[in-house]
Amino acid sequence: MRTDVGLTRRELLTNIAKAGVPAAMAATVGVKAVEAEESIPAPNVPLGLLYDATLCIGCKSCEVACNEANNTPADTDAEGLHEAPTDLNVFTRNIIKLYKPEGNSPSSFVKRQCMQCFDPGCAAGCPFEALYKDSDTGVVRWEGSRCIGCRYCTITCPYSVPRFQWRGINPLITKCELCSHRLARGLKPGCTSVCPTGAVIFGPRPALLLEAKRRIKNNPGRYYQDRVYGETDNGGTQCLYLSRVPFEKLGLPELGPEPVPAKQLRWQRRIYEYFALPAALYVGLVAVIRKNLAAHEEEAHQLEKETGLRPQL
Amino acid sequence: MSTASTNNGPATRPFKTSADARTRWERFVPAFGFPILNRFFLLLVSLTLLALLLTGYREIAGLGPASGMNDKFGWGIWKTFNVVVLTALGSGAFSVGVCAWVFRRRLLFPLMRMALLTSMLAYVCGLCLLGVDVGRPWNFYWVLFPWRWNLHSPMAEVAICMSIYATVPLLIENLTPILERLWYLNVPLRPAIETLEHVLHKCFPFIISLAYLLPAMHQSSLGALMLLAGPRVHPLWQTPLLPLLYLGAAAFMSFGCVAGTTMLCCVFWRRAMDMDVLNEAARISSWIIFGWIAVRILGLLVVGSLGTAFHLNEFAGIFWTEMFLIGYGGWLLRGSLKDQKWQSMWLGYLFSTLGGMLYRFTPTTLAYMPGPKAIYFPSTIELLVAIGFATAGIAGFLLMVKACAILPATLQEWRDMTSYFTVHEPFVMWKQYLNFGFVDYKILDNADLSRSYVKTNHD
Ligand code: SF4
Ligand code: SF4
Ligand code: SF4
Repeated sequence: MRTDVGLTRRELLTNIAKAGVPAAMAATVGVKAVEAEESIPAPNVPLGLLYDATLCIGCKSCEVACNEANNTPADTDAEGLHEAPTDLNVFTRNIIKLYKPEGNSPSSFVKRQCMQCFDPGCAAGCPFEALYKDSDTGVVRWEGSRCIGCRYCTITCPYSVPRFQWRGINPLITKCELCSHRLARGLKPGCTSVCPTGAVIFGPRPALLLEAKRRIKNNPGRYYQDRVYGETDNGGTQCLYLSRVPFEKLGLPELGPEPVPAKQLRWQRRIYEYFALPAALYVGLVAVIRKNLAAHEEEAHQLEKETGLRPQL
Repeated sequence: MSTASTNNGPATRPFKTSADARTRWERFVPAFGFPILNRFFLLLVSLTLLALLLTGYREIAGLGPASGMNDKFGWGIWKTFNVVVLTALGSGAFSVGVCAWVFRRRLLFPLMRMALLTSMLAYVCGLCLLGVDVGRPWNFYWVLFPWRWNLHSPMAEVAICMSIYATVPLLIENLTPILERLWYLNVPLRPAIETLEHVLHKCFPFIISLAYLLPAMHQSSLGALMLLAGPRVHPLWQTPLLPLLYLGAAAFMSFGCVAGTTMLCCVFWRRAMDMDVLNEAARISSWIIFGWIAVRILGLLVVGSLGTAFHLNEFAGIFWTEMFLIGYGGWLLRGSLKDQKWQSMWLGYLFSTLGGMLYRFTPTTLAYMPGPKAIYFPSTIELLVAIGFATAGIAGFLLMVKACAILPATLQEWRDMTSYFTVHEPFVMWKQYLNFGFVDYKILDNADLSRSYVKTNHD
């Protein structure tokens, strides 16, 4: 995988510049990015979010902005009144949750949306590549014309992000696609454009990672384990997290540095490598069965001669 | 009573057994002597029709209103039971076939047509329900475009292998009894049918090999499906061996389904049971079961999660229920080999198959923990549709065993069946066969068997 961030795409560069990320940060090179699974090509410019839970004041502006950006209707109850969603759902690609333990231990908000994994479980399981990783931005996108609606992605995503539309005759899979439609128009994602405290910022992942490390260095003891969640977790994610409280409490499981699909499907992938093993097996089967069937047929015809009964093969 | 070897025709038989002619399965013979449109059949059909009606509602309203599935439990019983569990029951064409044609357990041959039919029905019903279950079935046409296949995805393997398997090899293998029926019923067609059969037999090695490769792939991939759920599946099930264990469970479950159903049919239609064949099946089945249990325990030991089986919780309970059912079933099967009681053999199949069904179901639902407050219980509509698609299979089975020669029988019964095949409405015509094909052993013993049944109008 390439570790340098070659900003070859002019279009992207403009977008990022317009999006207000300092070009110097964008062009950062030499950041030791995580080695994703060899077979997964690295995106040219992995874009992502950095969410610093210690800065978030829980105003939920980003939830509203996300709804607006994605043109999703407000989540309303039976009376048509606005209802605060309690989890991601087909109308809610982005949600702010609160972790509040008993006693005096610190509480924390958390913003949940798709992590844009380097080795996305959702795309690994998707049968006809309806969910795929954009080769330029690394954003995991959904292409409805290839989705059969099997809902496997709701099971394979280690962060339980994709949502299926349970009503209607044309159900969609929804998840945060990093506002790719806005990026294409040179706009920042909805959520980062409204955040009043800068708790969530947008940019190329290497730059975000540098920024996160800078914050950790400048504020010793402030962050849990002095660690950026997503730097190596699950093989690396493009959306990064900083937090005061343990990540697990915020619903970000400790998955280890190996990406879940690579780990779980290791044998599966080896067995089906180039389809060599199944093909060899097939050839062997044909040889054996041909021989056995021929013997069987011969016996059956012999029997036919003796009894006059039509053979039943 | 005469001895088997002297009185029973030719010495070479497609399947050599020591049993005498009264119990030796030598022909496939349709079930006969009952009206197909009986009350039970109508009940099955009406359940299926109700299910079809309800799928209409599901298509219009969407999955949410029609089922208990939700954001946490994206899969309901349509997938986890009708596809994951019932197609395992219908893997007989694979497991019995591999034993018969690859490992040369030729004694199993009389069970083959039964295995092929149950497989066909289970797969067709499962695939149809899969079409109802998926949200965007119109995109299924991508199955035809290999460059879009995500070959690393277990879901792709399941979707692609299953649909190819059910529509090509399984269908072709099941043509044999249908062509045979046509051959007997339609004299002018005979040359054409014989040519077709000849061509089919030439292709069979290639088709049958495909029919063993594909199920081996997708029955294990069904287990691989839950691998990607990672730690959300309880460690007693989430092991790297999950695909292998799913395949093994499919093997002994389908043996149970094929042999158990055949035995049930024999009791029901008062046919003789060929204990040689059944013993062979039970022996193989019990070895698969014990091997399976050993692999499962060893696998859990190696990954180190066997300890969780001794926690006092519902997961340990499910685990031991599975192990008990499967183990006890295997033990009963072994026992029946010694004391030759078909009843305990049947119970052995029943227990092991039920245990296998539970094992296949658990990782997808009972041991799947997508979140602290996640619950799933199938809605009434969901249950009715699941039942309706299963009863469709049973109704299809009754129809097929009556219309075609699927069930194994002794030569004695074949004498009747030859004529059965040559008349167009046999159910009304022959009152004397309405006694469920009772074999009068006295007559049989006295008759010169090697001659009496040979006289047919086949020529
Ligand atoms: S967080 Fe989930 S939905 Fe997002 S890319 Fe990763 S696996 Fe896919
Ligand atoms: S529901 Fe659609 S996007 Fe999700 S895994 Fe299935 S085909 Fe892919
Ligand atoms: S990037 Fe866009 S879609 Fe994703 S959470 Fe932010 S506003 Fe919502």
